Amino acid sequence: MAATERTLLAAALALPGMLPAGAAAQAMPEGGLFSAKYLYYRDWQPGANRMTVEAPSFYVLAPFAQSWTVEGSLTFDAVSGASPLYFNVLSGASGEGIHDFRKAGDLKFSKYFDRWIVGAGAVISSEDDYLSRGGVFDLRWFTEDRNTTLAFSFGGAADVINSTNGIAENERRNTVEFLFGITQALSPTAIIQSNLTYSYGHGYFNDPYKSFDTRPDYRRITAWLTRYNQFFPTLDATLKVGYRYLDDSFGANSNMVEAAWVQPLPSGFTVTPNLRYLSQDAAWFYFNPPFPSGRVPDQPYTTDTRLSAFGAVTAGLLVAKALPDGWTVDLKYEFYRQKSAWKLGGDGSPGLLPFSANWIQAGVAKAF
Amino acid sequence: MPLYRFPFRAMASPCALAIVAPDADTARCAADAAIAEIARIEAKYSRYRDDSVTTAINRAAGGAAVAIDAETDALLDYAHRCHELSAGAFDLTSGVLRHAWDFRRVPPRLPQRDALAAALDLIGWGRVERGPPSVPARASPPAASGIGATAPPASGTAIGAGAGWVRLPRAGMEIDFGGIGKEYAADRAAARMEELGARHGLVNLGGDVRVIGPHPDGTAWTIGVQDPRGMGGAAVAALPVPAGAMATSGDYERYFERDGRRYCHLLDPRSGWPVAHWRSVSVVAPLCVLAGACATIAMLKPVGEAIAFLRGEGLRYLGIDAAGELHTDRTTPP
Repeated sequence: MAATERTLLAAALALPGMLPAGAAAQAMPEGGLFSAKYLYYRDWQPGANRMTVEAPSFYVLAPFAQSWTVEGSLTFDAVSGASPLYFNVLSGASGEGIHDFRKAGDLKFSKYFDRWIVGAGAVISSEDDYLSRGGVFDLRWFTEDRNTTLAFSFGGAADVINSTNGIAENERRNTVEFLFGITQALSPTAIIQSNLTYSYGHGYFNDPYKSFDTRPDYRRITAWLTRYNQFFPTLDATLKVGYRYLDDSFGANSNMVEAAWVQPLPSGFTVTPNLRYLSQDAAWFYFNPPFPSGRVPDQPYTTDTRLSAFGAVTAGLLVAKALPDGWTVDLKYEFYRQKSAWKLGGDGSPGLLPFSANWIQAGVAKAF
Repeated sequence: MPLYRFPFRAMASPCALAIVAPDADTARCAADAAIAEIARIEAKYSRYRDDSVTTAINRAAGGAAVAIDAETDALLDYAHRCHELSAGAFDLTSGVLRHAWDFRRVPPRLPQRDALAAALDLIGWGRVERGPPSVPARASPPAASGIGATAPPASGTAIGAGAGWVRLPRAGMEIDFGGIGKEYAADRAAARMEELGARHGLVNLGGDVRVIGPHPDGTAWTIGVQDPRGMGGAAVAALPVPAGAMATSGDYERYFERDGRRYCHLLDPRSGWPVAHWRSVSVVAPLCVLAGACATIAMLKPVGEAIAFLRGEGLRYLGIDAAGELHTDRTTPP
């Protein structure tokens, strides 16, 4: 293993009794964490404000009974606005605005063993027109020196869709997802992680609020995400880079690269600028404007810009400050811009206006 | 919760434990366990004790192999890695040089040439024979006394459960755990206190410090770096250490000056002469054994090489070179 060949840390860790007996105590969070965040999201296209989302969320992690943790989160989204425009010709907002309220919550229990962590949890999300219930089971295994972690998880979700316009009535969709991941410490300052995710969904995928929107009744997604973190002791900073390739049976395959620089500063501040680029192919049943050209009744058809071919750039900055007694406050801003011409090779879907979005998130967390 | 301090002496050094605990009894209980663990390691590995593992191994030099337990085997493994990664600068067998160099002699004098050559002849970690239980050693010349090196010990010299054996091939060879024993004890003591519930505190064994956890409010412990030319232990700098350990190696613990030159007790096992690249090197690392070994290795290397080595290990450091110049990985002055 690279770590044992090049550096002494792994050799030092191999000495007996370096860590408290029962490595459970080592891998397991020693204290709990509570955090509250408030997200404000707004997107727009030239000449039109589209959608805003305000979402307060809460997260709690608490250890109990020596080797267990329970974690849960609650999110409330208030959504107002219209669904995205897709034509280059602005003809006013596409139909009535959407006013919605979403509640989502999840609860997960994890049990820590010497070399294993086993977790099981449940997720529920509900909107006026949508109910999703799911479960997840995951397993993590460490090598004795903890330089390597293998992760396996299995999850499933059952969704019921009842659109407010009456198009979708008790429509169902079931999804299963598998993840296999490996995390390897390359040295005391470098770590690499690679995750392969496969999901298969069957059922209703249409957007009931878009005219003629007809999609296949199954979707298979295989995503391969690799991340690398490098710590620079001289700068006290960490560089995080990642690459994801996603293969979608809809045809919306994509490549994504991202990078972030985590820089601690004096007085407990940490700033993290980040940059992400995504290039996506159009779904095979995506049709360019004008609407509804190319449509064949009962054949898959969509004009959803999220399934068009485009390139998108996200730039963000996170500023966090650690306060005494385990408190942390943070503020995050992200700007997203999507353009057809930014697709790799430049051959994005024609006739689309650039799409922009803003995220502002403020959070406070307390370790206890 | 209040902070309790327990000063004591061990390994020929002033030591102290600091523990944040809900009450004095809880703190006392953790401190007792930690001090007992340190005493156990000192008794087991001290070269000044007749009944120690170290003495047993050294006494059998040139003779029979000595069976060792898993703990000793692991420490020798670690010393082996240190030797490899320091290109031979870190050498558990270099203690014999103190027969040639007497730092306590008044007036001081430089070693006799043949005494130094004789000492150097007995140094060489690479020549130390080791093996797992009941696997014969590689071919080596038969030893003068009874049991040959080709056979693990049958009885008599066995210490603890057999995890392997070690043999010093030449009479007069010695090993000592000087470079890692104290640091290992600091790590074990910290782990012991953590097992007993301590979450905030530190173990300080003569300047080798292992942190159990930061102050209860999350702030780091500030650990001073002794001024290598200062009087009465004045600090020249301080480093925040929220977790992990800090160890310092310096040229000022034992030395003599002659003809305007300082001869310190840190001797390069390859030349037999004191090193003069650094006044002191302090290293912050996840474990005290790592900080200690890396500080010692860095002391034995020229400034540029030492810094490259510490960077390669990904560790924080603060070194004061022979000219008094400060070198640190920190971008802001400490």
